[in-house]
Amino acid sequence: MTRKADPEVLAAILDLINDMADDWEYSGPVTEETLFLTDMGLESLDLVILGTMIQQRYGQLPFAEFLAEIGQRPVEERDVTVGELVNYVSDHRQTVAARE
Amino acid sequence: MPKTLLLGLDGATFTVLDPLIERGKMPFLEKLIAEGVRSPLRSIVPALTPPAWTTVMTGKRPGKHGVFDFFQKEEPDSRYFQFASSHNVKSETIWSVASEHGLKVVSLNFPLMFPPPAVNGYIVPGGWMPWRQLRLGCYPPGLFDRLKTLPSFNPRELALDMTLEAKALEGCAAEEYADWIRLHSRREARWSEILRSIMADDDVDLVGVVFDGADKLQHLCWRFLDPAMRPAEPNAWEQEIIDLCEEYFARLDAILADIVEQSGADATVVVASDHGFGASHDVFYINAWLEEQGFLVWKDEAWESQEVDPQIGFANITRHINELNWDRTVAYAATPSSLGINIVEQPNAVGGRDRATVLADLVSALRQVRNPWTGQPIVAQIHSRDEAFTGPFERYGPDLTLTLADGAAISILRSDVLFRRRDIPLGNHKWDGVFIARGPGIRAGESVDEVSLVDIAPLLLYSLDLPIPTDVDGVVPPQVVRPEQIEQRPPKWFTPEGATAMPTDSDIEIDSDDEATILSRLRALGYVE
Repeated sequence: MTRKADPEVLAAILDLINDMADDWEYSGPVTEETLFLTDMGLESLDLVILGTMIQQRYGQLPFAEFLAEIGQRPVEERDVTVGELVNYVSDHRQTVAARE
Repeated sequence: MPKTLLLGLDGATFTVLDPLIERGKMPFLEKLIAEGVRSPLRSIVPALTPPAWTTVMTGKRPGKHGVFDFFQKEEPDSRYFQFASSHNVKSETIWSVASEHGLKVVSLNFPLMFPPPAVNGYIVPGGWMPWRQLRLGCYPPGLFDRLKTLPSFNPRELALDMTLEAKALEGCAAEEYADWIRLHSRREARWSEILRSIMADDDVDLVGVVFDGADKLQHLCWRFLDPAMRPAEPNAWEQEIIDLCEEYFARLDAILADIVEQSGADATVVVASDHGFGASHDVFYINAWLEEQGFLVWKDEAWESQEVDPQIGFANITRHINELNWDRTVAYAATPSSLGINIVEQPNAVGGRDRATVLADLVSALRQVRNPWTGQPIVAQIHSRDEAFTGPFERYGPDLTLTLADGAAISILRSDVLFRRRDIPLGNHKWDGVFIARGPGIRAGESVDEVSLVDIAPLLLYSLDLPIPTDVDGVVPPQVVRPEQIEQRPPKWFTPEGATAMPTDSDIEIDSDDEATILSRLRALGYVE
């Protein structure tokens, strides 16, 4: 069963993506299922920079570990959906909040 | 107030520039040298774009400014690396000092400028800033929309586009050379257009711009740029590439001339590179060698030699994380760019050796390594972390940093051979870059002794009558500035409050690691095959 994304985090990340998409003329829909690399055509470096902006809002997140985990997947599965990123942010945002 | 210009030429070397100047291809540089000073510019350890340009901006070596590579360890003993960002620059910069004293700055295409620091002026970051997100890197807010109105504004060519970079250089077929060179001619023109637009609209004091095409052309086209290596009787394709390379430098010369002319006759002009360049024939597979010597153990011991999948993916993002046996590895190289070896301290490691013992064993073993084609030691110099990176951030640097003989490159890939000779020589970084300066207070018509990269920031601040932080590693170079100028107006100094990152509009940290991009980018730049 697919996990439902945190609506607040999802909305914030979708806003960020849509703002930038205007600059690179991406006209397709962006949903929880959209893959960053395959569907939107982003480079992995774009994900790093996107991660920067996400952390600006939600605090420091262990992105290196996140990407290391993705790197262990089979080649054809090495991509990230918007929903997966939202869930990751939601989980670790809660961890950060709990520590504080 | 007279302006100060820092015209950065990434990777420039007199080996290439002098013959072009002599043949009349770069008349502006010839004039600038005649009216000012020139010297070799000694780079730092490691002679690499991110730490070296950060040294230009701060006057400090990596142990004091905090940037060692394209990627940074999350913590001193961490195996995880972050993408190096402006938050890693733990020092005052020429931009921050000038801003704090009310001067207006422009910083274009410098690495480590994302997220953009909050300066009194303008920033468009360079380095590995991807074009799709250039808007996020521009400072102040609204600058990106202003730049979009420029006639030739094209972020895809202005900033990093991995697709273009990869297309041009991963394997780079002969027919792709020409487009690659022309791209960089266009890219320099686009940066120039932005700079000249800002200068036309605002009265700026400290202007810095990096043109990085020389580095990229030299990595790929060294054999056409170094007169000593050029084919004696080039075929039609070779002649076309030679002509295009020379055209790039001629256009760059004209761009520099236009910028300087717009800055006024009384401007101080400093031309500097971050490192030099030379030929590179051989590749040393450092992790394979570490395995052979018992310092490194792969997780999958049943590995068989195979062609590396050219598709860059997340498998490469944290290659060393996923491929090494962390219970048994005591030393590894994480990136080819830093030429660094990291030591893993752990009780269950091979033989239970401590860091000091591993360090001594490594140095001893490295000194024995011979280049199979030359018979000479492949390691020219070994720099210990304590020696090369003294400062508050030295523990973020690799334990050992190598300088390889004859411009050999390092590969971190797993390999069943320790060395490989390239089919065609490429270009690689070397110590001696270029320094040219002209302006009030600068000596005229002299070729002077070597200037150090750490001297650039003090010189720039001095030219604007700004105070210099007391903790810089450099000086106002006396061989560059007229003695009477120093006597009349001695340098001013101030003690910075402490090692802090440049303030930005946010307090966030980049802490993502993307070795896919490292490898893709480094491959594109010719660091790895």
